[in-house]
Formats: sequence, structure tokens, C-alpha cells
Amino acid sequence: MTILGELALWIALPVSLFGAVLAYAGGRSGRGDLVLSAERAVYAVFGLLVLASAGIIAAFVGDHFEYWYVWNYSNRDLDTFFKVSGLWAGQRGSLVFWALLLGFFSTVAVFTNRRKNREFMPYVTGVLLTVMTFFLVVLLFAKVNPFERLPFAQADGRGLNPQLQNYWMTIHPPTLYLGFTAFTVPFAFAISALLTGRLDSRWIVLTRRWTLLSWFFLTNGIIFGMRWAYEELGWGGYWFWDPVENASLLPWLTATAFLHSVMIQESRGMLKIWNMGLVTLTWILTIFATFLTRSGLIESVHSFAENTTISFIFLGFLAVATTISASLILWRREALRSENEIQSFLSRESAFLLNNLIFLGITFAVLWGTLFPLIGEGLTGKKVAVGPEFFNRVNLPIGMVLLGLVGVGPVIAWRRATARNLRRNFLLPLLVGAAVVGVFAALGSRQWMALVTFGLSAFTLTVIVVEFWKGTRARARIEGEGALKAFLHLVGRNRRRWGGYIVHVGVVMIFTAFAAAAFKLEVIQTLEPGESVTVESPFGHTYTLTYEGVSTHLRTRNMAWQAQAVMRVQKDGEPAGTISTEKRMYLTFPAPVTEVGIRSTALEDLYVILANAEDLGAALGNDPEGQRATFEVQINPLVGWIWYGGLIITLGALIAIWPSKGSLPEMRARTRPAPGTQEAVA
Amino acid sequence: MGLVLGSILLASGVVVFVLYPILKGQWAAQDRQDDELTEAEARKRVTLLALRDVEMDYETGKLDEEDYRELKRQLSREALAALEAVEAERGEAGAVAPDPELEAQIAAVREGLREGRTCERCGHLNERGSRFCASCGAQLPVTAAAGGDEAGA
Repeated sequence: MTILGELALWIALPVSLFGAVLAYAGGRSGRGDLVLSAERAVYAVFGLLVLASAGIIAAFVGDHFEYWYVWNYSNRDLDTFFKVSGLWAGQRGSLVFWALLLGFFSTVAVFTNRRKNREFMPYVTGVLLTVMTFFLVVLLFAKVNPFERLPFAQADGRGLNPQLQNYWMTIHPPTLYLGFTAFTVPFAFAISALLTGRLDSRWIVLTRRWTLLSWFFLTNGIIFGMRWAYEELGWGGYWFWDPVENASLLPWLTATAFLHSVMIQESRGMLKIWNMGLVTLTWILTIFATFLTRSGLIESVHSFAENTTISFIFLGFLAVATTISASLILWRREALRSENEIQSFLSRESAFLLNNLIFLGITFAVLWGTLFPLIGEGLTGKKVAVGPEFFNRVNLPIGMVLLGLVGVGPVIAWRRATARNLRRNFLLPLLVGAAVVGVFAALGSRQWMALVTFGLSAFTLTVIVVEFWKGTRARARIEGEGALKAFLHLVGRNRRRWGGYIVHVGVVMIFTAFAAAAFKLEVIQTLEPGESVTVESPFGHTYTLTYEGVSTHLRTRNMAWQAQAVMRVQKDGEPAGTISTEKRMYLTFPAPVTEVGIRSTALEDLYVILANAEDLGAALGNDPEGQRATFEVQINPLVGWIWYGGLIITLGALIAIWPSKGSLPEMRARTRPAPGTQEAVA
Repeated sequence: MGLVLGSILLASGVVVFVLYPILKGQWAAQDRQDDELTEAEARKRVTLLALRDVEMDYETGKLDEEDYRELKRQLSREALAALEAVEAERGEAGAVAPDPELEAQIAAVREGLREGRTCERCGHLNERGSRFCASCGAQLPVTAAAGGDEAGA
């Protein structure tokens, strides 16, 4: 099975390369047989990658430690679940997995368009197979072949990093990769539009759902990663601006900007070059993110030097792709001229434009902060740290402006809004926002950044609620429908708009949760069994935690030892169960790892870390005198809102993505104005 | 031996599968299919939807009366031009309407434009249900389709 997989990978490369050539040739010459052949190459490559992936999984499940990759990321004791997910546990397998997902989406894109949008398909197929060829070249020639064999078979593997043995870590990378790879489809359509000269907004309309799908996976992938960091890394935070996190955030930022700016092109025929630029930039950032996280560059420039081949292949490909895309846009710049101009500064167009500038601003700040240490290390040999302070200082104020814009956008009219209208629409939301700030200030809070964020959240939420209410009322009045029916029809008839507003509600929740981190509490205390620590939460609850003692297990399945400290929890004097936190020593990992104890409520998390067992030897020997331990007890307000917000975003995104015949966005195929109507638009 | 045979089988299977269309002379279409939107149709939809948006913005108080009238006048002209372009195209190709629901709406708008009210002051032909004349702004007699009278609630 595994041999077959390796073979499949080798067959896939020439098929993919040949298919790409056929597709371009077919597109240029108009020969439909070449195009059809190229499309079959897409299906064939996907089938071969399924074989290759199955080969890797078979090697994991069958404990074939003669493979370097299996030996490094598995051992006999590992759960079958983690053996299967070994496919994407490390660099080599995850590159195959990337190609597999790209093959899947390419197949879906080609198959669903086998009878429509034919004028785009030759070059779409060509671009998809080109990207595929690149990944296959990396896999086979950059010393990262997952089928590489060791000189002799090992008796057992080196095991999977215990921090990766977590549910969220298992689904986080695939979700992100789904987002990365799905975005290749809109990019392929954009390039095809440039090559064929079909530069009206059709390519945008055709790829709208692909873009949303990609965005949906990226968003969830990022949130899953936060969840993993929160549960597994044991410092009570969820985002540390480390390069791996930043790498996934960068394409998300530009994809979000793109989702918004395409609406201006569809409805107003503006920003065509900008949109081409954004779709290209986003796709390049997905490749760049894969490069950053999977080339070893992040750990250090020195590990970069260990395998320069993969880095040079990636950087070369990025350079070539950027140059070609930019040249194509430049070549078509005349045809991409805007059909309209912004009529008024007070309009939804300009609000969207501002939104885009902000997203790009954050993108460049994050990119700079991520690359600066690497460049610095490359030049000076010393690691220059750019800590969270830099990112927070730059991005918090920008993020707050963005949050405000989420509120402004929906209320401001297309083309032109007047000051009087804005006053009327913004009066209530502004009052609500100000009231929220006032209440917190009156309660004695002086965390101004957080207060302003709460105020902006309240403002934005009010705008959205009023918007739903007014829309429902207007529809009920015009169509004479009951409130519920009017509401459902309102959402159903313009899924993108109202789904988008629901996404905004989730975004507001997440921003609120970020701001609430300012009210985080932290107590560190060393306790003997029977002693307690008391913490008062910002929501006025008193938690008393009484240390019961450590229970230990030696030589469990895959651990040398496991020390579990148990605490009895009382909330406001009432018993509220127990919470436990652990230190574990895995057989396959050099240092002990900490498992935190989390007790979640809708408003706050009680988060307990076993910071230190004072006399570990005695504790492990169950010596009653050696149970002294140091605990870090945190109250993390509103952390749960990030996960709930994520669910609301999922709901809104699904409403916007869900296909529905005749729904509004389907019809928004903006094309060039027919002759004779130009003056009416201008 | 089995491995060599397997490789040859797999590789040749793939090659035959991929090259089949070229060998057999099967061609994929490379131009627009009949049931797809033409540019004129797409344009028609966009203007009609923009009209709907303008109505909605006005109803929910985002547009002033004056801007509403101006935008509506522009868009109505665009819509009529687009409708005529589609008509001309359809006359040539005889294509079938892809979306009955939208077609019904379009028919309603067209009927409105054709059978709309003539402004008593300037003689401009207004879409049915208009509250004000799109050309001069004079108030038109209230029609049944217009519904309530809370202008810009």
C-alpha cells in the first residue's frame, strides 16, 4: 500500500505538469480536446494523491518505522486517531495533505464547471495544475519526501509531540489548509479573466462562494488554533503574535478585505485593479504562510540553512507568481479602469474603501513584525525579538477603528449619504455605546482601551439589531407579511447581506472578549493540602479553591509519570465541583508538560495551572509531606465569547454561502454599461 | 516483479485516462453556453436589484427623499435601456428565461414603466407605485401598490 502511494506521487508530477501545458495550449489554440484532457489530468492527479495519502496513513497505522516520517511522528503507543492524523502532523506529510486538498478543490471546481463558464476553464485548469505541479516538485525534490526510508527499520518511533496530541490541534491544521487551498480557485479564475480578457465582474460572481468558503475555513482554522493554545499551552492566553499564528492571519486579513471590496465592484463597477491585486495578494500569502510554517524558517534562520532547497523553491515560485500576476494586471490596466467614481465621501463605497485600507494596514504591520526578526537574524546573526507589545500597540487602535466601521458600514447608503440621515441612523447606537462606556466608568473602571471597545461593540451591535428590525418592518409593510415571515424572507432574499451582518455579530463578540482580557486576574500561591486560595472575579463572584493533594500514576501507557493536583472549588460559598491540573512526563518528550484545569461559564473561565510541585520526587512517591505545590489561578473574563462568536460567524457564513436559486447575490453580475446608459451613471 | 507490473499498470491506466479525449477527438466547449447570462441580462439584473436596494435604503431611512428620487430616476433609465437590450438580444437568439421568479418581477417593473403614471406637471412616465415624479419631483396620486405613507420612516 505504502509503495503504491510513493509510486502515485511520482506519477502525479508528470501528469500534473503535462496537464498544465495542455490546458494553456488548449486555451490559446481553442482546441477543446486538449482542454478536456487537461481536465482529466486534474481528476487523475487527485486520485493519485488519494493513493499517496492512503499510503502514508497505512504506514502510520501499520507502524512502519522504516519510514523517516513515520519514525519521527509516531510510536507504537500512539492512539490510532493520532496515527491517522499523522498525515498532517509534520512538515512532509502536511505538504502531501496540502496537495491532496488542492486536488480535491480543483476537482470540484473543474467538475462543477464542466458544462458552464467554459470560456474561463482552460486557464483555470492551467493555473490549478501549475500550483499543483509546484507542490509536487517541492515534495519530490526538496528533500521532504514523506516516503523517504531509513537505512534500517527502527523498532519503535520517536512519538508525537504531546502538545500536538489534542483534539483542537488535530482539526486546526486541516481547517486552515482547507482555507488556503480553496482560495486557489478564485485566484485561478482571476488569472483566467486576465488571460482571456473577460474582465467584467463575472469571475467575481462565479467565485464568490469559493471565496466565502475559503474565508469560512480560514476563520475557523484560526479560532481552532486559539482554542488549542488556550487549552494546551498553559499560560491562559490564546494569541501570542508568534510567527505561525501571524502566518495564518495574513491571508485572512486580505481575504476579508477582498470579500468587502468585491461588493463595490459588483454594484458600482469600481476597484477592479484593486480586487485583482487583493485576490493575488491573498493567494500569495496562503503560499507564503505555508512556506513560513513548513520550511523550518520560523524556528530560526539556522534551521532554514539546513534545508535551503525547499526555501529557495518556495521563494522562487513566490517571486515568479508575483511577477506574472502583477504583469498581467499591468497589461490589462486599461480594461480594468473604473466605471464610476466615488460620488461622496459619505457613502458606503468610501466606508468599504476605508475598511480595505485598514485591513491592508494591519496586514503590513503584522507582516513587518513577523519578518523583521528573521531578516534581523539573517543580517546580524542575533535573534531580535518583536514581542506582542509591538503588535498590540499597532493593531489595537486600528482594530478599534475597524470595529467602529463594522457599525458604520451597514447604515450608510450606497452612492451618497447625507449628514441628516447619518444623524438619524446613528443617534440611538451612539447613545447606547456612550451609555455602556458611562456605566463602566461609573463602576470605577479606568481601562480606557477596553471601555472604548465595549462602547464600540455596543454601538455596532445596536446598528445591526436596528438594521434587522427596520428591514423586517419595511418588508412586513411592503409585502404585508407577518413579522416572522418577513424576517425569514428578508434574510432569504439577500443572504449575503444578512448573513454578513450575522457574521458581524460574531466579530463584535470576539472583539468584546479581546477587550475583556484587560480585566484578567492572576494569583500565584504555594499551598499545602487543605489550604485554600480565594479569588474575586470581575463579575463579582468569589472563588475559593482548596488544595486536596496530588495523585500520581507511574509508567502509564505512554507516560513515565503523571501528577494530578486536585482542588475543590467553591463559588460564592457554594460547592462547585473540583478542578484538576497536571504535570505529565511523556516517554517520548524530554520535558514535563502541564495540563491546565478549566472551568468555563458563559461569562468567565476559572483557569488553574499547576505551576510547580515543590518536591516532585516525594509527590510521586505519594509522600504526604511532599505535597506542597504552587498554583497559578486565573480568572479569564468572557473568553468563552470567542468560541461562541466563532459559532455565530459560522452560522452567518453558512447563510451567506448556502446556495439558493434566485437569491440576490447570484444575480449581481455587473457588466460593462450598455451603450447609451453611460451618462446616466456618470 | 509484482511491483514493476503494478507500476506499469497504474501509470498506463492514468495515461490512457488523461489522453482519451485527444485520442478519441472529444472536444470540450470553450465558449458561453446558452443557458448562461448574457451581458445584457446580467446588466438588467444588476439595475433591477440596485432599484430594489434603493427602495430598501429609502424605506429604512438611509436615503433622503431628494437622493432617492435622483437615484431612482437614474436607475429606472438604466433598467429600461437594459430591458430593451435584452429584448433585442432575445429577438435574435430566442433564448429561454432562466429564472421565472425574477422574470415575473421584471415583467412587473416593465409593466410599471409602460403603464406607469404620467406626471401631471411635467409629463414624465413614472414606474408604477412611484410616490413622486422621478423627473420633476411632483407628488403623484397614491397608488395601491405603494402601500403606506410614512415617507422615510
